[in-house]
Amino acid sequence: MRGIALKAILALAACAVLVVTLGNSSGSKASSTLIFAGAADPTYLDPALASDGETFRVTEQMYEGLVALKPGTTKVIPKLALKWKSANRGKTWTFWLRHGVKFHDGTPFNAAAVCANFNRWYNWSGAFQDPSATFYYQAIYGGFKHNEVSGLQPPLYRSCAAKGQYKAIVKLRKASGTFFPSLVIAPFSMQSPTAMRKYGADQGELRNGTFRATGSYAFEHPTGTGPFKFKSWTIGQKVEIVRNDKYWGQKAKLSRVIIQPISDSTARLQALQNHDVNAYDLAAPQDIPTLSGNSSLKVIKRPAFNVAYVTIHQGSGPMKELKVRQAVAYGLNRKGVVNQFYYGTGKVAQEFMPPSLYGYAKKVQTYAYNPTKAKQLLNSSSCHVPCHIDFWYPTAVSRPYMPDPVRNFQGFQASLENSGFSVTPHSAPWRPTYVAKVNEGSAGDLNLIGWTGDYADPDNFVGTFFNQTTANAQFGFSNASINSLLLKAKNEANFAKRVALYQKLNQQLMKYLPGVPYAHATPALGAEKRVHNLIATPVGGVWFQYATVG
Amino acid sequence: MLRYVVRRLLLLIPILFGLSILVFFWVRALPGSPISSILGERATPALIQQYKERYGLDEPIYKQYVKQLRAWSHADFGTSIATHRTITYEIKQRFPATVELAVAAMIFAISIGLPLGFFAAKKYGGLFDHASLFISLIGISIPVFFLAIILKYIFAVRLGWLPTVGRQSVLIETEHPTNFYILDAIITRDWAALWDAIRHLILPAIALGSIPLAIITRITRASVLDVQNEDYVRTARAKGLAPITVDQRHVLRNAMLPITTIIGLQVGLLLSGAVLTETVFAWPGIGSWLRDAIFNRDYPVIQGGILFVALIFVLVNLIVDISYAIINPRIRYS
Amino acid sequence: MSVAELEAREVGLEGPSSGLWSEAWRRLRHNPSAIVGFVMVGTFVFVALFAPLIATHDPLEQDLSLLNGGCCPGPSAEHWFGVDALGRDLFSRVVYGARYSLLIGVVSVAVGLSIGLLIGAIAGYAGGWVDSLLMRLMDIMLSIPGLLLAIGIVAALGPGLVQIMIAVGVTQIPIFARLLRGSILATKETDYILAARSVGIRGRVILSSHVIPNSISPVIVQGTLALATAIIDVAGLGFLGLGPQDPSTPEWGTMLTDTTRYLQTAPFLALIPGAAIVISVLGFNLIGDGLREALDPRFRGRA
Repeated sequence: MRGIALKAILALAACAVLVVTLGNSSGSKASSTLIFAGAADPTYLDPALASDGETFRVTEQMYEGLVALKPGTTKVIPKLALKWKSANRGKTWTFWLRHGVKFHDGTPFNAAAVCANFNRWYNWSGAFQDPSATFYYQAIYGGFKHNEVSGLQPPLYRSCAAKGQYKAIVKLRKASGTFFPSLVIAPFSMQSPTAMRKYGADQGELRNGTFRATGSYAFEHPTGTGPFKFKSWTIGQKVEIVRNDKYWGQKAKLSRVIIQPISDSTARLQALQNHDVNAYDLAAPQDIPTLSGNSSLKVIKRPAFNVAYVTIHQGSGPMKELKVRQAVAYGLNRKGVVNQFYYGTGKVAQEFMPPSLYGYAKKVQTYAYNPTKAKQLLNSSSCHVPCHIDFWYPTAVSRPYMPDPVRNFQGFQASLENSGFSVTPHSAPWRPTYVAKVNEGSAGDLNLIGWTGDYADPDNFVGTFFNQTTANAQFGFSNASINSLLLKAKNEANFAKRVALYQKLNQQLMKYLPGVPYAHATPALGAEKRVHNLIATPVGGVWFQYATVG
Repeated sequence: MLRYVVRRLLLLIPILFGLSILVFFWVRALPGSPISSILGERATPALIQQYKERYGLDEPIYKQYVKQLRAWSHADFGTSIATHRTITYEIKQRFPATVELAVAAMIFAISIGLPLGFFAAKKYGGLFDHASLFISLIGISIPVFFLAIILKYIFAVRLGWLPTVGRQSVLIETEHPTNFYILDAIITRDWAALWDAIRHLILPAIALGSIPLAIITRITRASVLDVQNEDYVRTARAKGLAPITVDQRHVLRNAMLPITTIIGLQVGLLLSGAVLTETVFAWPGIGSWLRDAIFNRDYPVIQGGILFVALIFVLVNLIVDISYAIINPRIRYS
Repeated sequence: MSVAELEAREVGLEGPSSGLWSEAWRRLRHNPSAIVGFVMVGTFVFVALFAPLIATHDPLEQDLSLLNGGCCPGPSAEHWFGVDALGRDLFSRVVYGARYSLLIGVVSVAVGLSIGLLIGAIAGYAGGWVDSLLMRLMDIMLSIPGLLLAIGIVAALGPGLVQIMIAVGVTQIPIFARLLRGSILATKETDYILAARSVGIRGRVILSSHVIPNSISPVIVQGTLALATAIIDVAGLGFLGLGPQDPSTPEWGTMLTDTTRYLQTAPFLALIPGAAIVISVLGFNLIGDGLREALDPRFRGRA
């Protein structure tokens, strides 16, 4: 018996040695492949049918739109359209297109293709009209040619005409300030009409209330014009894209990019530490010191494109009075909270949209932490010191704009109590109740919430927060001046005028104080030091076009 | 014999029925709605109402249950809200991953637990006995996710010998006809892929296997101790047979029997442990799938997934019971 | 002394003689593993009970100035186990954590044990369709693996300390129910019970003087093991994010969730609470195991 035991131990030891020596421990040795870890698998590789950042990260490498944001900024630059002009008070848009661009399947990109894309969206019917299918189209354009579902808005789009190869004219039913800026986002990329037709891009069904694409286009044949083209997608495991050698612009330096979903952020961090991946997204803020402290790793920061704010609900409590709202603004120690709980990735917000976005007012009323002033304001209002308020915060969550809600709350609670308030805390888990409560206005006098921008337009921020419906529900107010300014700015087709309108709006908002914005955060990526020129965009995407490894 | 099998199968029906009701009502008891989970800050009350109508959550509850039963009878387990893929598809992808992990864990547990328990029994009361008991008890005393984290930390992060996450290196290209990676690698004769799959399997299998390891060690020890003192063993020894032969021919064979009875229980423990282990190692199996679904309130997945897991568990127990009845006739008549 | 008890005495049918217990105790005392277990559990309970006296700092007090060099300074003279990501003394948190673990373990097992034993007693004693129905219910509960069942309950009740205690307690119910029912059924059939019945001793007396004392030993063993399982399951639920929602709570499982990301830079943050869990759980397992051996009649008469 002892002999057998000894043999077994020796065998085991031998196996262990083999495993260690024969195994590779590093991920990518070749410098022309980059392995990137995201948080989840894409839903579809047809961006028109998706609304999640994981899908967009992949599709943004393969597809392009008429215009784009300059990488890493929110400035709109030409992409597939070289020039554009709006006429008829913003109802007619003419695009002059780039010459000599081909889709990955070899078919030409031209005005006919542009119109084919617009008309495809407009003509969607049946299952495709479900909000789970075409969220962004409905957000910008409202409805379709024949609205089959209740609750759809009348369509914004009227028609598209191709004048020759390289001139497309899009007509809208009414003026819209959001139409043009929204063209940068992934769902409105130009896709190959030939490929879409061939592989059933418009085949889908509604099953158990959720949309499912049933053609093979969205899974196996995504076809765009971008610097990378599709190679393979093993669902749940990886998406592989390869360099498009026939790209019209600057060819990618990498020959291949593999995007792998790892849902746990610590597992992503460890994968990077172990060099199983070259870079990953959505680095938890608490990991940033770990990444910076590691000699072979680095942090890639995004320009901030979000805002965290404190909702002030004016419904039935003391918040109806401007003085009380001002007291809240002076009583929140925003600087302290941002310094302590954003781990170096945040800065204090003075307006309801990020500074990098046009429409940001140069000068607004600011409210530095001042407990004395807050108490004075309270005592001269109807809510004397101590003014009792209910303050809600979410649990079990970490948002890009608010990585640590609980600590933020605790910091704010302490500073408000210092400023003459008596705070009653309430909390609810983010999923599933907190957001609903905030949206319907049943989350106390104050609550913590925020927003990450989808596309670079102020309407995506202040329009989302303060449109009539939301202002009423979430904030409990109705202000004619703010509302009319908002609508005017949304529909103003002249860019310079729009910017001025939004600046004015921001100044008004910071006087009226429907809430108090407190932070802009910069969600970061972790990467190996030898990864260069990996650009993170403010709206949450990543550019691999210029990146190299090693 | 047939009567026993039939009886057990018939018992299955009320259990499955009860289970379906339990799961159905439980999912609906979960607070909140799936819509707010998906849309996050973007969930406006209007949109939420739209979704409510879509999912038929407005209809009376018994109608919903009947509709659900009908769907289940067509093997339609629903569609995942997060990924838009059918539950059946996801199960087909993920179940082999969990099975592979569970089988590897069992192989690890048996290959170490059996000899450990055997020798512990042989040297009853001695230092080896107590030490092996101690070690196996540590196995069930460490929370499986903690063990997984430690293993990962030591062998992957610190020493870099083994990979940290996943089933396969993303750089390997292979076909997956069966979705059992080790089997696939053998079938396609891709030896690099085989090595890669094994390397990814090692740490999760050891972490998960720590639970059955302890139990197998103790059961083996207990049953070997029992069998050793049986009359037929004493007779064999008295006959003059060499100790090794006695062990091989009588002790081992009879001691193995009780182990089969606990396999059913092990499956349950493995499935529970898989939820935690798969999360730590980002193993794309049923465990991590369920954990993500519960976190994201992906109701169809939670419902379909838990039902599926319970089904498997019940079936495995049934098979174990029937096979034990075949081996041990006395059970049938109880 | 009631008539029933007199009757029981006369026929010589008493509960297991004190001989069983004293012999079991003797065997336990000589079992080194069990002794180690007692020491571990003893320490655990002691620390839990006297936490305020043992802890060196307030477990909730944050000293963010210590984190100026990033996370986290390790063990030092001032902070014996170091400091966590929010500047709280880890030693004190671990010490107070013992309280939570003890509380959670005891309450969960109490819930599972009391309800489980009740169901088991009813099923075992009543027999017939009541027994069938109750056992089918237990089967359904057992058909969902333990942790998943607990996760399901917590998902429906919402996360929180009380909810996970209830959830873990509920998962223990079928085990205790089956245990007691099995014991009752087994005892019912034995000769001496049949004899007692034939002599005319009432059921209630039989239940209290025979069935229950004979079933106590497996219940004690299972109870100890259940305590061990409860502490682990709660840690697991905490790890998955379903535990106490206030992250300042010094509960060992939740402490593990927060700290796994610092494994490379501050491993002690995870290793120490983890070791605490392992030690306390191991202690209970050792005792339970030792008890099982000590009370196992098959080993009577051996060394």
